[in-house]
Amino acid sequence: MPFVQTATDQTGLVIDRRSHTIKLTRNFDAPRAEIFEAWTNPEHVACWWDPAGEPLAACEIDLRPGGSFKFVTKDHPDMPFAGTYREIAPPSRLIFEALGATGRVTLEEAVGRTHMAVEIECQSAEQLDQYLRMGVDVGTAQTLDNLVAYAHRRSTVSSG
Amino acid sequence: MAIFDNTDHLSVAFQALCDPTRRAILARLTQGEATVSQLMEPFELSQPTISKHLKVLENAGLIEGGRDAQRRPRRLAPLAMKDIADWIEPFRQQWESRLNNLDAHLATMKQQKEK
Repeated sequence: MPFVQTATDQTGLVIDRRSHTIKLTRNFDAPRAEIFEAWTNPEHVACWWDPAGEPLAACEIDLRPGGSFKFVTKDHPDMPFAGTYREIAPPSRLIFEALGATGRVTLEEAVGRTHMAVEIECQSAEQLDQYLRMGVDVGTAQTLDNLVAYAHRRSTVSSG
Repeated sequence: MAIFDNTDHLSVAFQALCDPTRRAILARLTQGEATVSQLMEPFELSQPTISKHLKVLENAGLIEGGRDAQRRPRRLAPLAMKDIADWIEPFRQQWESRLNNLDAHLATMKQQKEK
């Protein structure tokens, strides 16, 4: 973990810019088959995907390699999370392409608990930056804009 | 906010953060400043190795230290860490909320099965 986490944080996050990959990890008190089901059955996905806690406005899943999916939240109907499934290997692995990146969900089970890793592999460091920024609220995206503007200012000052 | 001078400051910072030992050093420094010898102990690394890692962290603007490399304690550069944390935090929180939802939903699935 690159950053200081408080004790209440349960989700691990590692960002590797060399491989342009974001890796989220979390343990669940559930068998991995259930978690795989929760990721691949639209009725279930609709219940948890929106960070706001609202049921999805629309959730379409065509669960086969090459099949497409689309998750639409109530707050951002114009920004669906949409893509194509690449590999469906229950109960351990799900691979999909979405928003120009590759998503890999890996589920490992040990004594009734499941370790889940979600890897988001982008094509470049620039895309990774964009990816981190996508889907976050306007207010928070503003933070990055400020930072980018700040970096530009500094580079202009130091080079000019 | 005199932290990053180069255009690709985030790349430099993330590069520094890629290494698990350096992340462990940063984690140790969140508990307070430490000298090189204090850092050597928990990590069982040689002084040159620790010094090398500290150099990378310093160049990335993530930690601050004195001129006298051996004695002066190192500490986190608070603004630099905050800049990066601010940038990542919204994304992390979004997934934290999402996976909290999933956790709760898995409990519901279990209850429904038991009925």
